[in-house]
Amino acid sequence: MGIELHRAATDGWVETPDGRIHYIFGFTDVTGVPEKNLAGYRGKAELMAPPLVLQVGEEYFVTLTSIGTPTRPDLDDPHTIHYHGFPNQIALYDGVPEASVAVPVGRSFVYYYKPLDPGTYMYHCHHEPVEHIQMGMVGPLVVRPADYNPAHPDYKTAYGHGTGTEYDREYYMFLNELDCVIHHQVETVQEPDWTEYRPTYWLINGRSYPDTVAIDTGGRLRLQPWPALIRANAGEKVLLRFVNLGFEQHALMLLGAAFRVIGIDGMRPLGLNGEDLSFYKNIIFIAPGQSYDAVFTAPQARPGESYPLTLPLYNRNLTKNTTGGTEPGGMITEVQVFAPGGLPPQAEPNQP
Amino acid sequence: MPDVHLWATDGYISTPDGKSIYIWGFTDQEGGSARLPGPLIIIKQNAPPRKTTVNVSLTNNLDVPVSLLFPGQEEVRVHGRRVQPQYENGALVSLANFARPGETITYTFTAAGPGTFLYESGTNPHQQVPMGLYGSIIVRPWDYEPDSGEFQTAYGAGTGTEFQREYLLVLSELDPGLHQALETGGNYDIRGFKPRYWTINGRCANDTMLPDHAAHLPNQPHGSMVMMEPGERVLLRYACAGSANHPLHPHGNHTRLVGLDGRLLQNRIGPTIHDLSYKRFTVLVGAGQTYDQIYTWTGLGFDPVSRPIPTTLPNIRNVVIGHTGMTFWNGSPYLGEKRELPPDVVSFNEKGEYHFMLHSHAEPEITNWGAFPGGLMTMIAVYPEGTLDEHHGRLPVEST
Ligand SMILES: [Cu+2]
Ligand SMILES: [Cu+2]
Repeated sequence: MGIELHRAATDGWVETPDGRIHYIFGFTDVTGVPEKNLAGYRGKAELMAPPLVLQVGEEYFVTLTSIGTPTRPDLDDPHTIHYHGFPNQIALYDGVPEASVAVPVGRSFVYYYKPLDPGTYMYHCHHEPVEHIQMGMVGPLVVRPADYNPAHPDYKTAYGHGTGTEYDREYYMFLNELDCVIHHQVETVQEPDWTEYRPTYWLINGRSYPDTVAIDTGGRLRLQPWPALIRANAGEKVLLRFVNLGFEQHALMLLGAAFRVIGIDGMRPLGLNGEDLSFYKNIIFIAPGQSYDAVFTAPQARPGESYPLTLPLYNRNLTKNTTGGTEPGGMITEVQVFAPGGLPPQAEPNQP
Repeated sequence: MPDVHLWATDGYISTPDGKSIYIWGFTDQEGGSARLPGPLIIIKQNAPPRKTTVNVSLTNNLDVPVSLLFPGQEEVRVHGRRVQPQYENGALVSLANFARPGETITYTFTAAGPGTFLYESGTNPHQQVPMGLYGSIIVRPWDYEPDSGEFQTAYGAGTGTEFQREYLLVLSELDPGLHQALETGGNYDIRGFKPRYWTINGRCANDTMLPDHAAHLPNQPHGSMVMMEPGERVLLRYACAGSANHPLHPHGNHTRLVGLDGRLLQNRIGPTIHDLSYKRFTVLVGAGQTYDQIYTWTGLGFDPVSRPIPTTLPNIRNVVIGHTGMTFWNGSPYLGEKRELPPDVVSFNEKGEYHFMLHSHAEPEITNWGAFPGGLMTMIAVYPEGTLDEHHGRLPVEST
């Protein structure tokens, strides 16, 4: 009964375009991996964490196994999964160590979710959340509506048939920052002073530009397997699922097309009596712990222009478009618009 | 509405990591110590067409001038005249008429609408407000009636703002360098303002979860534990007295925002009401701003007999419980049930209630000088039906 998913908590390393590597904690997807093979995933945490994609009405049994941190064998911190935004949750499945249980190294715990509300959410570890969130135990969580059917354009929606939230392609825009000094302190068993938090890298889907627009998912980016390059055919509707699990506010701007905000924090903007409060924006201004669903229509080439068109998407907090102090870098990516019919239909989220 | 008398004075607060911090603040007791935040002023509006006029006298026992601002209130006057910014030799010295050391000044304002508001010093505010010279005002609608159902509302009957319990959470940041400089007469460069503590109702976590009037926190009399029963509509009033913005995230459910800055989120066009309230799981609580929200929690219907949880609870020896030596957990998946916890863990669970964290998601703000846990963090405690004492979450109709 129900759908079984499995995440392992461990550590790993990520790379920024300046060639530096950074120690992380994180999750990896071990769904279907036999117990005896889990040790093979030690040290393979991914940033961002592998998305949890659920559907309204289904039952999910998400097992978290803590498989240890090979770079910090001394570390006995437990981990949890907090499904951030799940309405009416009970304490046991909420993943807050102070209010229920946490998972020590070598043990597992099963979280049960039966989502009732579609939308964009997030999940993260809640043990010493300031440390475990910054270290990378963060990922997006999507709940599809009960009637979701990607083969039928009226039913390929964010919030259900008839809600005006149809789209042709969807991309995670998962935002966070990385303070390389703090990551080094955690690697070398020092206690960070979190009031000195000062990020040096700004990431979309775990990558800093130009890695954001690289489509490869292996090699030096094998533990950061999520490109942030957005591709669409002219006239298509593109859903961007913004999640901020950094500690700063961000202002993501798209040049050349407007966003229609169709969801905030997993809720359609609706008044008490169903008033449609969706609205247009050029910049998605998003605080830590918030999510935004924004749809834009890929523009047509004007006479004299040729495909593909390129629309920049970047952080209007301009100092965040840097990689370790050099620019351009950080939270920059791009939208590439192809001629109608140029790209085949998208099979998976974020597939460029 | 009785007249309010506030004294601006100094005092000390304490932090959970054992520090004693010098503050400036307000008290409503002559000769008393400064409190953080200042005394809560609750006003019930007069039935229309009568205006609701409030007199607030300020006696200044500090050795610098102090004033009061009443953002969002109307017709703010001193001695019958509109308050004005004050200049000396052409230089701005205060955003409002002030009391010099030893003086008393009386402000009058009209509480034109219900909602949650702040009062704060308008004199050297970049220094005096973070030092603690701030407090809150709740204005109740004229038809407010506690325990009445449709008349126990934030914004008046028929506005969709009915509630059964209410909690006020006043946020601020604290840079001990500023406080030390003003205590010792040392120098302080405001460009270096760097918060090391963050407070809810003047306290840092885990003190936020202690009851009101905790004996060792005489100048920080208010906790911020949100206590409720399933299905109750809880009015959460956030007010940010700080200079920064704080993304507050309650576990357990979204909130519905029904009022901002003491204004109902509703447009009336002719006879038609357009509701503009909205639901969020994280609210960015902006500097100087207030947010009135309705929070409810109903649970998922789990019950040990009729609907057991679909997973097996692991042996408590195979999970970590209370890694800091204490836990809020009831040891059971079920509301109202208490089960065995590890013997070396102190339980703060009373009646098998659930606890849901309410905290800043700018996570460095949930530390005390960089050490977790601390700062902008508290709990929402959902008690089994019929077990939570009535007085929790009941603020008076009016302050006396
Ligand atoms: Cu963790
Ligand atoms: Cu969260």
